[in-house]
Amino acid sequence: MHSSIIQTAEKLKEPSVEAQEAFSRKLETLVAKGNEVMVSRPDLAKLIGEDNREMAENNNHNFARFMESIFLVYDPNTLVETVLWVFRAYRSHGFKTTYWAANLDIWVTLLKEELNPEYFDEIVPFYKWLIVNIPKFARLTDQECEEIIACGTPHG
Amino acid sequence: MVLPMVECFQHIQEELYLEYLHLLLKGRKDECHQVVQSLLKDDIAIRVLYTELFQKSMYRVGELWEQNRISVAREHLATTITESMLNLTYPYLFQGNYSGKKAVISCIANEYHQLGGKMVADIFEIHGWDTHFLGANIPEQELLRFIDELNPDVVGFSLAVYFNLPRLKSVLDKVRGNFQNLDIVVGGHAFAWGGIKMLNTYSAIEYIESLNRLEKIL
Repeated sequence: MHSSIIQTAEKLKEPSVEAQEAFSRKLETLVAKGNEVMVSRPDLAKLIGEDNREMAENNNHNFARFMESIFLVYDPNTLVETVLWVFRAYRSHGFKTTYWAANLDIWVTLLKEELNPEYFDEIVPFYKWLIVNIPKFARLTDQECEEIIACGTPHG
Repeated sequence: MVLPMVECFQHIQEELYLEYLHLLLKGRKDECHQVVQSLLKDDIAIRVLYTELFQKSMYRVGELWEQNRISVAREHLATTITESMLNLTYPYLFQGNYSGKKAVISCIANEYHQLGGKMVADIFEIHGWDTHFLGANIPEQELLRFIDELNPDVVGFSLAVYFNLPRLKSVLDKVRGNFQNLDIVVGGHAFAWGGIKMLNTYSAIEYIESLNRLEKIL
């Protein structure tokens, strides 16, 4: 499954310099608006666990900067390995896989609002690819997360 | 506490590493201090101390945070203790013959992880370089001004997190644009995720994957 995800990621096309720059210019706005939408959700705790709001906001900022790096030098392997790391780390801290579905939907909506259509068309395939592959990333990190949770109380 | 003997000064035994990691995670800095002083007294090579004790233990600390087995507070405590351990090596850094060369080692703007850069700076120092370590989060214009004033032989950048790659590119564009003949070295944990392709688009920029590799080229 791991290699099949990388194969699909290889089909994504690095955005043009103009689209990258448009994304970078809007990055802080996109993060701020996205966080506002996410934290206003009544089901927030179900998505991210208790007391994780700050972590979710930081993650969203880091995610935006990561995507900026990916657009700059696109490497399918880096994209897949980093998303796997994020799933492992954040699921271990109580985030549910439904969080990524919710957050990525917010991103697609905001990108459509903030970018001109030409740049949106170059950037959005990455987000759609992430949305489609959430179940695969979840399955690939299931076992490890279950083992970690089974180890007992954190912060021992 | 009885410390296990170091059988070979070129490597640190797993038992001693695990003992140090345990002390580090518990925040017992005085005992970490004893372990490091003992190794230095036994003439451990600084590079071995850095890679097999400090780097290895901090990578493990990062994994433990990732697995939610330690808190962010404990992770940061381990970082500050490790930074204080680096200070213990200060008397051992100036044993090499002065090469007459100058190096500037820096983190870029918004890069707050400075442990790796400090280790790199110390390795330069050991090899006789006059080294200027600027630390974390250096604004671009300040860095360019400093390079202009010092006129170093090499500038080194340490990048710990991958999402700082665009900022590194911005700095490299400006340094290469302003100082065409300056040698540049780049390294750091960020490149475990990728990004070397971006470095290859520049002339006279060398990616240094480890302290071992750095020692070989100095």
